[in-house]
Amino acid sequence: MADGKMSQPRSLSQHQFKWLLVVPLVAFFVLFFVIPVGLLFATSFNPAKVGQVALVSDLTFDNYIRFFSRSNYLMAAGRSILLASIVSVITLIVAYPMAFVIAKTENPARNTFLLILVLASMQLDMVIRLYGMMVILGDNGLINQILQELGLTDGPVALMYNFRGVVFGLVQFAIPFMVLTLVGVIKGIPSSLEEAARSLGASRRRAFMRVTLPASMPGILSGSLLVFALSISSYIVPALMGGFRVGVLPIHIYQQVAESARFQFGATIAVILFLISAAAVAIYLRLGNRKSGGLA
Amino acid sequence: MERAIPIPMLILAILGFCYLLFPILVVVLAGLTTGEFLTFPPKGLSLRWVISFLQSEKYLSAFFFSFKLALMTMVVSTILGTAAAVFLARSRFVGRSALRAFFLSPVVLPGVVVGFALYAFFITSGLGISRTIWGLWVGHILYSTPYVIGTVGASLATFDVSLEEAARSLGASPLRAFRKITFPNIAQGIQAGSIFAFIVSFGQFEVSLFLSAPNSEPLPIAMYNSLRYKFEPDAAAAGIFAITLVIASVLLTNRLVNIRRLLERQDG
Amino acid sequence: MTKKATHSRRSVLKGGLTLGAAATVPNMFYINHAWAQDVVYDGGVFDAGGATLNVAEWGGGWEEFVRKALTNQFEEDFNCKINWDTSFPWFPKFVTQGANDPVYDVANWNLPNLMQTNAAGDFFLTTDEIKANVPNAADCWDFAFASGAGVTWAYQPYVYAYRTDRGAPVNNFRDFFAARFANKRGTYATENGLMHAFFMATAKEFGKDQYDMEAAFTALEGAMPMKISEFTFNMLSLLERGEVDIAVHIEGEALTLKRQGAPVDVWEWDSKPILTQTKTISRYADPMQKKLALALLNRTLSPDFLEPFGEEFLWRPTNSKAAMPSALAAEGVTNTADAVSAYWVPDWDFFVANKEEITDRLNQIFGL
Repeated sequence: MADGKMSQPRSLSQHQFKWLLVVPLVAFFVLFFVIPVGLLFATSFNPAKVGQVALVSDLTFDNYIRFFSRSNYLMAAGRSILLASIVSVITLIVAYPMAFVIAKTENPARNTFLLILVLASMQLDMVIRLYGMMVILGDNGLINQILQELGLTDGPVALMYNFRGVVFGLVQFAIPFMVLTLVGVIKGIPSSLEEAARSLGASRRRAFMRVTLPASMPGILSGSLLVFALSISSYIVPALMGGFRVGVLPIHIYQQVAESARFQFGATIAVILFLISAAAVAIYLRLGNRKSGGLA
Repeated sequence: MERAIPIPMLILAILGFCYLLFPILVVVLAGLTTGEFLTFPPKGLSLRWVISFLQSEKYLSAFFFSFKLALMTMVVSTILGTAAAVFLARSRFVGRSALRAFFLSPVVLPGVVVGFALYAFFITSGLGISRTIWGLWVGHILYSTPYVIGTVGASLATFDVSLEEAARSLGASPLRAFRKITFPNIAQGIQAGSIFAFIVSFGQFEVSLFLSAPNSEPLPIAMYNSLRYKFEPDAAAAGIFAITLVIASVLLTNRLVNIRRLLERQDG
Repeated sequence: MTKKATHSRRSVLKGGLTLGAAATVPNMFYINHAWAQDVVYDGGVFDAGGATLNVAEWGGGWEEFVRKALTNQFEEDFNCKINWDTSFPWFPKFVTQGANDPVYDVANWNLPNLMQTNAAGDFFLTTDEIKANVPNAADCWDFAFASGAGVTWAYQPYVYAYRTDRGAPVNNFRDFFAARFANKRGTYATENGLMHAFFMATAKEFGKDQYDMEAAFTALEGAMPMKISEFTFNMLSLLERGEVDIAVHIEGEALTLKRQGAPVDVWEWDSKPILTQTKTISRYADPMQKKLALALLNRTLSPDFLEPFGEEFLWRPTNSKAAMPSALAAEGVTNTADAVSAYWVPDWDFFVANKEEITDRLNQIFGL
């Protein structure tokens, strides 16, 4: 349909105009993203030498061999994937109703108020926000105090400084991103669609499941992808909520680069993390294309 | 008349908001403590630490540095990102989804990696902007632009292309069709995208880690560098200040956009 | 070059705290660079014309105190601005920018990190060069120059800080590993100097000697789960909140918590290691910055700073003319030429040589 239009006479100027839209960003990305990150990735094939930053001509696979022959790195990779997947699912479940409510709140003042709650929570710096999480989830935190008051547990339940704590922290961090991605999409679903389904006799739940939910699929997919990407690449949340005890790939990268100055090995882990993320993006995009294809 | 929002959905949403906001509330209250330390529950409420923050050279200069950086980032990201999103939504060339993925790739790479790659690049290339606001700007644009592309792209996806095409077939130039039809429809997406860009830049931690220096230090880094040594209430106070600011800016932009939309309708 | 440096470092470290050893060693480091000699400083005050001095220093309560007691006045007197960077660790930043473009003009270090950096390149002025240009250095005991790369200006012993309201007092190195402290033990991330010393002390206690790494790994593995902090000040807040009941710490800072009324006390390790603070000056800093760096180091070594600083955190001075903090003096601690001879300095040379392996294994133990 769109292709048909393109072959019309005025499409040529339109075509050139279109490319101009994207050229500046592509140029910026090539200069400041592809080249620097490419150079860094290339160093992963250099022998590991503490303190050496520049690319050298010696080529080796030693860093990759090291990565794949040490169980803790492999486990960190697995843990990263698991963590990001769990966080994406939980965040979606928590955030969808929030986004739905915001999208369906017609009253502008109330709508703005809800959006402000979401945005303001993003605005509170992550480092200090995690302090709030600690107060709630720590061994002597509010939840543990309540549990012990109620006599539900004897000792403290470890809610942070472990994998669970990282999940709690990341979900809290990711909710606004998911909500804001979903709100626009849910708002964009014509209410006539659901009404039509209802008028054809579908129950409210059925209309939601059959019409609204599938129609929000683009938002669900891009939101989950965003949250997956944010969680798999976060350093600060696993570091603080995991108490430096939950090994995920960004923590290893940080250690290699920022602490040990073993840049080549840090670059190796970065390459592997990037490949994992790229695979996830590819899967999502395929899903996304199929879904939007189905919708159109 | 039936409620627009089913009750179970409302309950789930309230629980979600509690989860999101409770830690924030804790920090805000802790920042209003009258005591010496960051404790919860706070020992009495006062503005003592907010005032201390407003007088602290370290946090205040970091705050304004972050603010400036986020504004600079927002402007560039919104322009470049919106243009790219329109391109992605309106063209059908083969590499389109690859290009979209390419623009998203900074988000999937840990900021620590990109920050370090830029840092090493600035040093080895002799660009001389490592550990300056310009280097940070570059890094932040990389991380903020994908959000603009995402939000604007989402609003373009739900926007009916045939409207613009209809305008075009009635003789409107592409630019005019975009300005009159597409732009008003995706304005909210652009607004959301730019707020996103601002907030992502303002809260950016990982990318800034290698690119900042004490005289060019964004707020999250300043906070981290001081909180890793000691929990101080004025860090929480800085958070309170930032929250106040975002509320003000949302209220303001919302009003502006609503007014514009009002005018738009009268125009039509 | 590497071999020579290693050898000289080893002799420094082995004999580092005995008289005289330091005097012979720095010559081996001495490389006659044209740039290295362009600055002389005589101890006076000069106008730096608003120059900026890049300093790597600890943050938190440390920063607050040192600014008040030292650097604010310094900025005023010398008409300069101090760029205070607390983004530890310094090592990667030094090596990334290289020796010729030093990221900091002055850096304050714990010994193992300093040793690692010094081995990686020609970054710092030697102790001889410093002595010639820092008048107050003449008053320092010889052990202040043992690192060969900077001046050690303060030290204090390692302790366990423990909560007195959670059972019997701690009086043994192995108490930390006792069952009653499960998940209530606090130590530090792998890059922290306190963790390095704790590792070596654990090897010494549980193994044949300090080189018995396997024994340390086994003991630390058995001590998991532990709580891991980044810096001593944050560990204090974990102690205060009761998130940990026992923590690796240093005497003076832990005692500040006790002085504030918290139910906390300390027990000094019987292997007697000390944590040292050493300041270096970057060899290739610009002349004005280098002159300022020498001046700042001179003021750091002055009793006018060391004494109030010692009173606050119970750091012991290396300057022979500075008085011991009164609380320590009351307990009979004196400031003498052999003040540190009773203490043990772990073989940091061995540690640096095996750092990669140690970091990896500690990561695994911590679950990373």
